[in-house]
Amino acid sequence: MTKVLVPTVCPYCGAGCGFFVSVERGKAVGMEYMPGHPVSEGALCSKGNAALEFLRHQDRLTTPLRRRGEGFVRISWEEALGLIARGLGDVIRRNGPGGVAFLASSKCTNEENYLLQKLARLLGTPHVDNCARLCHAPSVVGLNRTLGAAGMTNPIPDIGSSKCIFIIGSNLAENHPVIARWVHRAHEDGAVVIVADPRETPTTWMADLFLQLTPGTDVALLSGMAHVIIAEGLIDGDYIARNTRGFEALRESVRSSSPERISEITGVPPDDIVRAARAYASSPASSILYSMGITQHSTGTDNVQAISNLALITGHLGRPGTGVMPLRGQNNVQGACDMGALAEFYPGYGRSDDPETIRRFSSAWGVPALPKGPGLTATEMICAAASGDIRAMYILGEDPANSDPCSQKVHQALEDLDLLVVQDIFMTATARLADVVLPGAVWAEKEGSFTNTERRVQWSSKAVDPPGEALSDLEIIAAVGRSLGIDLGSPDAASVLAEINRTVPQYAGITRERLGEGGLIWPCPDPHHPGTPILHSAGFKLADGRASIVPVRYRPAAEGPGREYPLLLTTGRVAVHHNAGSMTRRSPSLLRREPDLFVEINPADAFPLRIAGGDPVLVETPRGGAEALARLTDRVKRGVVFMPFHFPGTNRLTSEATDPEARIPEFKVSACRIVRRD
Amino acid sequence: MAVYVDIRRCIGCRSCEVACERVHGGRGHVHVHFVGDSASVPILCHHCEEASCAAACFSGALHKEGSRTAFEVEKCTGCGLCSLACPFGVVWTEKIAHKCDLCEGRAEPTCVTTCPANALTTDFDLLSHRARSRAARAVATGGRR
Repeated sequence: MTKVLVPTVCPYCGAGCGFFVSVERGKAVGMEYMPGHPVSEGALCSKGNAALEFLRHQDRLTTPLRRRGEGFVRISWEEALGLIARGLGDVIRRNGPGGVAFLASSKCTNEENYLLQKLARLLGTPHVDNCARLCHAPSVVGLNRTLGAAGMTNPIPDIGSSKCIFIIGSNLAENHPVIARWVHRAHEDGAVVIVADPRETPTTWMADLFLQLTPGTDVALLSGMAHVIIAEGLIDGDYIARNTRGFEALRESVRSSSPERISEITGVPPDDIVRAARAYASSPASSILYSMGITQHSTGTDNVQAISNLALITGHLGRPGTGVMPLRGQNNVQGACDMGALAEFYPGYGRSDDPETIRRFSSAWGVPALPKGPGLTATEMICAAASGDIRAMYILGEDPANSDPCSQKVHQALEDLDLLVVQDIFMTATARLADVVLPGAVWAEKEGSFTNTERRVQWSSKAVDPPGEALSDLEIIAAVGRSLGIDLGSPDAASVLAEINRTVPQYAGITRERLGEGGLIWPCPDPHHPGTPILHSAGFKLADGRASIVPVRYRPAAEGPGREYPLLLTTGRVAVHHNAGSMTRRSPSLLRREPDLFVEINPADAFPLRIAGGDPVLVETPRGGAEALARLTDRVKRGVVFMPFHFPGTNRLTSEATDPEARIPEFKVSACRIVRRD
Repeated sequence: MAVYVDIRRCIGCRSCEVACERVHGGRGHVHVHFVGDSASVPILCHHCEEASCAAACFSGALHKEGSRTAFEVEKCTGCGLCSLACPFGVVWTEKIAHKCDLCEGRAEPTCVTTCPANALTTDFDLLSHRARSRAARAVATGGRR
């Protein structure tokens, strides 16, 4: 029997690495690397290497299930679809379509996300969102406002030609490991690497200059750098005059942000702020890479805008080696947003409160009316579920019971719904609260396109069938639509992509036939367009072609250390786990390497608490407590502790404070205390 | 041939460990060691010119074959002398000896292909060239960036 190699896109982070699944007699028997891949060049991180472990896992859901008492019983697809149709119908009759909310998935394909938001909106509810809300919602708001487009401005390989790489709030060496190879390449070509982070991490190992700031003080640091750049005349005056508006207001707003004053706020030595500002501004091509250390704050949108400001006043945009690079955490979080699985946008970022957008999609979908947004965001849906305004939820491939802040409240809210439908691959903490659970497919069990963090759209092929009675997510969504009397067309990824070509201008030329090796980078407005790897090389898609410089002022995080809770808790990821952990904690070769929830604490903080390395401790915040093993390390400064969020527990602690615009929770700063467990 | 490590590039992601285990039926031959909070180093077989594991192996299972330290599983008695003899701790005995086979039959060792940071290579010249370039830059810039 011959082996067949099927090209797929890695199901983990947003880097979008490719690999082949090798298939024999219909079974996935192994994987092979893809040396021709433009981003990964054949490499894969530990998670990618372990991807088949969760594909073949015995815990996979194989039949539809319905709740009975505390447990679940297997049911047929027919019964499941009937239950959903009746349940949703009841809620819509009693509360109107606005009583139903949908969560799409940054783990699912573009076609699946497109179809789910279409189903939601055809049902008449504006409430559809995805977990981008928990990672890069401030990038969508902040970058759209300042630069007129929310995505990485330059492709990943382009980082290799940068001359100054400023990484802030991103531990890419652990979370997007293949990007490290491009940073190394630039570094060895003479680039300066600056990393700003509250923790020392493998990413900071790559740095020439490490700025260890206090969590939540990013706006201050970025304002301090802007102050130095302006004061020392390192701005690009021509660029500012030709391409931007609002510079004077920024100059005014950072006048008082002297390095000395900023040093007091951030804990970064004044000289290092000056050095970082000079290196970034004066290099011929500088790029800024950032991630959730910037976005997961109550000042997330301000943080993003402060980053745009730095790039705009120095003219580091629109050329190779420059750019603003939000690194996305999941394989299709960019695509889910592009497809309109967002409360404030229809597909292609048409504002959901814009009558023209509504008119365009009503005519494309052949219906007289569509709901006007903005709908409720992922975090607001949970609050609305708690208050009774949302009575039914349909959740595709997401685990808010683990991944949202203050998870006890989330549990209660989901439990109180009249109907909770969860479509997933495992019995997650969220699925356990569901009335009906539908078994979906993993990446290699279906086909479709994924859009990685650099806006590269790639086709991933089907290697094997889903287990048991599980179905591709596209088939499930279409069947749910049919049971509700809504015709979503043929549940075939290529046909859905053809509809996307017609309705999403950025994807107009990204047809199935053109998605070969390496994919295409949007915007790609027609079938002959080569794609647009570098954005903003000829002005900005804003009024009169100019970018907006938006002054921002430092606001402290919602919570600060006090007498009762004297430590600052910040959260993040480790190399061998991913997000809420439902996949990586089921992969033995990953779990073995990081089996337990731990908390990093500085030895100077641990000593007076009589905590030694390896001790079980209780971490407490006003929301609740979580047990973890103490890890004593100088990676964190005194007064700061760190926990990964891959295990249930961490998000029992995190703060509910959200960014006023982007509604992202402040996962990165909570006041906490730590006590020995005995 | 051997696998060389550029410790300036290793990011401690442990991809080499997981990949090596994957292609060797669950038993990997490379271990990433963390040195304090500031470095990680993959430790794997050097394929020593005068391999003490091969010298200790009385059955001839471990032997030199050109530049590689090869292993013939049929001859292994599982005595464990090789594990004691290896100065780097990269030969194990679990019923029989286990060590790096440079992924015989593949175009290059799996750990080299999969390394996201390009920290592993079989090309010694590449590694030494990188080191010389770094040194040259340091001289030219007086260590300033």
